[in-house]
Amino acid sequence: MKVTTAANQRKRVSGWSRKERHYVFLGLAFASPWIIGFLAFTVYPFFGSLYLSLTEYDLFSPPKWVGLQNYKLIFADDRFYKSLGNTFFMAFISVPITLAVSLLIAMMLNFKVKGINYYRTIFYLPSVIPIVASALLWTWMLNPDFGLVNMALRTLGLTDPAWLLDPRYTKPSLILMSLWGSGAGALIFLAALQGVPRQYYEAAQVDGANWWYRFWKITVPALSPIILFQLIMGLIGAFQIFTESYILAGGKVDGSGSLGGPEQSLLFYAVNLYQEAFVFLKMGYASALAWILFIIVLLITFILLKTSGRWVYYGGD
Amino acid sequence: MSKKKHWIWSLILLFSIATGCSGGNAPQSGSDGDKPSDTPPAQDAVTLDFWYGWTGPEAEALERLIAKWNSANPDIQVKGLSQSDYQKQLTAITGGNPPDIASQFGQNVVPWGLRGAMMPLDDYITKDGLDLKDFVPAALSTSQHEGKTYAIPTAMHVSMLFYNKDILQEAGYDGPPETISELKEYIKKLSIVEDGGRLQRLGLWPGMDAYTFSYAFNGSFYDEATQQVTPDHPGIQSAIKLSKEIWDQYSSDNLDRFSSGLGQYMSAQNPFFSGKYAMTIDGEWLPTFIKQYAPDLNYGIAPIPYDENNPEFKNSGNVTTSVFYIPKGVKNPEASWKFIKWMTEPEQMAEFTAALGNLPTRNSAFSNPLYEDVPGFKEFLDYSGSENLKSFPASSYANEYMTEFSAQYDAILRGTVSMEEGLDKVKAKIQPLVK
Repeated sequence: MKVTTAANQRKRVSGWSRKERHYVFLGLAFASPWIIGFLAFTVYPFFGSLYLSLTEYDLFSPPKWVGLQNYKLIFADDRFYKSLGNTFFMAFISVPITLAVSLLIAMMLNFKVKGINYYRTIFYLPSVIPIVASALLWTWMLNPDFGLVNMALRTLGLTDPAWLLDPRYTKPSLILMSLWGSGAGALIFLAALQGVPRQYYEAAQVDGANWWYRFWKITVPALSPIILFQLIMGLIGAFQIFTESYILAGGKVDGSGSLGGPEQSLLFYAVNLYQEAFVFLKMGYASALAWILFIIVLLITFILLKTSGRWVYYGGD
Repeated sequence: MSKKKHWIWSLILLFSIATGCSGGNAPQSGSDGDKPSDTPPAQDAVTLDFWYGWTGPEAEALERLIAKWNSANPDIQVKGLSQSDYQKQLTAITGGNPPDIASQFGQNVVPWGLRGAMMPLDDYITKDGLDLKDFVPAALSTSQHEGKTYAIPTAMHVSMLFYNKDILQEAGYDGPPETISELKEYIKKLSIVEDGGRLQRLGLWPGMDAYTFSYAFNGSFYDEATQQVTPDHPGIQSAIKLSKEIWDQYSSDNLDRFSSGLGQYMSAQNPFFSGKYAMTIDGEWLPTFIKQYAPDLNYGIAPIPYDENNPEFKNSGNVTTSVFYIPKGVKNPEASWKFIKWMTEPEQMAEFTAALGNLPTRNSAFSNPLYEDVPGFKEFLDYSGSENLKSFPASSYANEYMTEFSAQYDAILRGTVSMEEGLDKVKAKIQPLVK
């Protein structure tokens, strides 16, 4: 639908009537708060940070041009690699798991059982809680001695790790937390699921396809554009993960504490960037970090979109 | 409607937005003037904005002092704002609209001061004849770099050894450990380890303040003569070895499990209050907390144990401070200075720090009777006179240095890097920052 309207507009751009031009200007005038905001707060800072990434800038004195030195320093910095590794872990392990779980939840919520609306609400509820609050809540849930999670594990006779303090378990803790909030993704899947024509399932059933076959051949292809969308949004989100680590790893305002938790296992890219910028006052260096992150995210998104043609099916194609 | 009218409307819209955006640059005093205040300021009165990081009862204590100043100085009215987000100061200063006076942590003074965010106060100090010799040297040194003073320390913190008298008595000790080897022995005896390694009680948390103990071994983080950072100084190595030795007795696994089961610091479940730690190294504010959260705790305060091979470094300690400073770009630095000077006079300093249970930074404030009501103050007061109190060397890269050091300290304790390797990493990373 979107495609056709855009095409229509493009066709008619050359031949605007007086009246149409009127409305375009009027429309632009109404959109001007956003346009100005976009220019002032997005476009300008965007190119500003590109310039700053080539300088030494401490906020107080004017930026000093240093060329590519910041980038050279970054690639020699242990903390850069450590934070990148942690962030990749979250992006490539946490995001697919969360996606799979929210699809599972969506499918459960798609059953027509009594009181389904209540279940839907309950699953969505964690998503409206601010991250700070849910992070604090999870420090309780994950308490090794009296936390709910370990209580359950002990009942099952499994090991009960020191979730937030043992470097091996800190990132899995965050994955657990993100699963808890997967209701938002489930809701989007649910909407998409309900848009899948019932006839497909009925036809498949008539042909004798089992549940698993129907899932792979109908549900997944039908949802693939939504999966792609959620995957990209999830990855972008994962690359910017900050709050959870800042809360759980005991961020201190005075800067003396080491952000990033035990053995820096929660030192994520954004956490490192924040510390370089606002604690160490290395704005140029931090801008360079931001640009590297931007390029990484851009590349990953590009690759995903390029390869998506093989597995994403748009209806009607 | 004609086309012209449309254009006019869009222009109006544009302008209103453009001016709305730049509103942030308008001088703040303009908006301050609109608000009616209780006491009408005198004609030509200046209003100073004062941002401080304290909140709650501590902020109230500060507000009482501000009120006292305001009633005595109708020409300079101070407006306090509790602003514990210190990042706001950065943005305000860079935005060219800073508060007239602000508080900060001592370790940020030199990094900020050298970069020009804080005004050097030396001219004012000389002009008013402020006696810097009255200040505790380690406290003052946090605000100074190469002969320049960027802030006035108003409160200082130092750690001592707290011990649970009941637990020590049960174990057959009638006093706290005095030397490092006694400390090790105490920790072993006071810790309770279940079968399988689970900890019930710790003599002392082994990941203790490496700075304090480094000074006990005469460690130093910077060598002035060669201009080298020295995280691998033998004194620092001794302190890390001490922690590591205790740490390894219990293993990371058991310590992690134990510590994640411990209660909040500011609560009755604080592990020292609840008897999970037999001893702890903590600051002068702790007695005030104990009074509040665990009034029945039978505890004592003792000096940091000293190295028996180096008795001359007895009573060591690491000093950190809270300071007041004048940000770069204020309109009336003269007035800001007058207020800072008054706030750090012995009387006001005593009133403020006594309310917080913090230590004053001026020797002449120590004798103030206000402190008699502060629990545990006497021990800390005596300790403050120790010559072996030191502070982390103030430099533009102090925050990077401390961050890298504590990250490596953690890794060394957990055994992911060897001590030599970890400290070499600190040095390799920080030395290039020395200019």
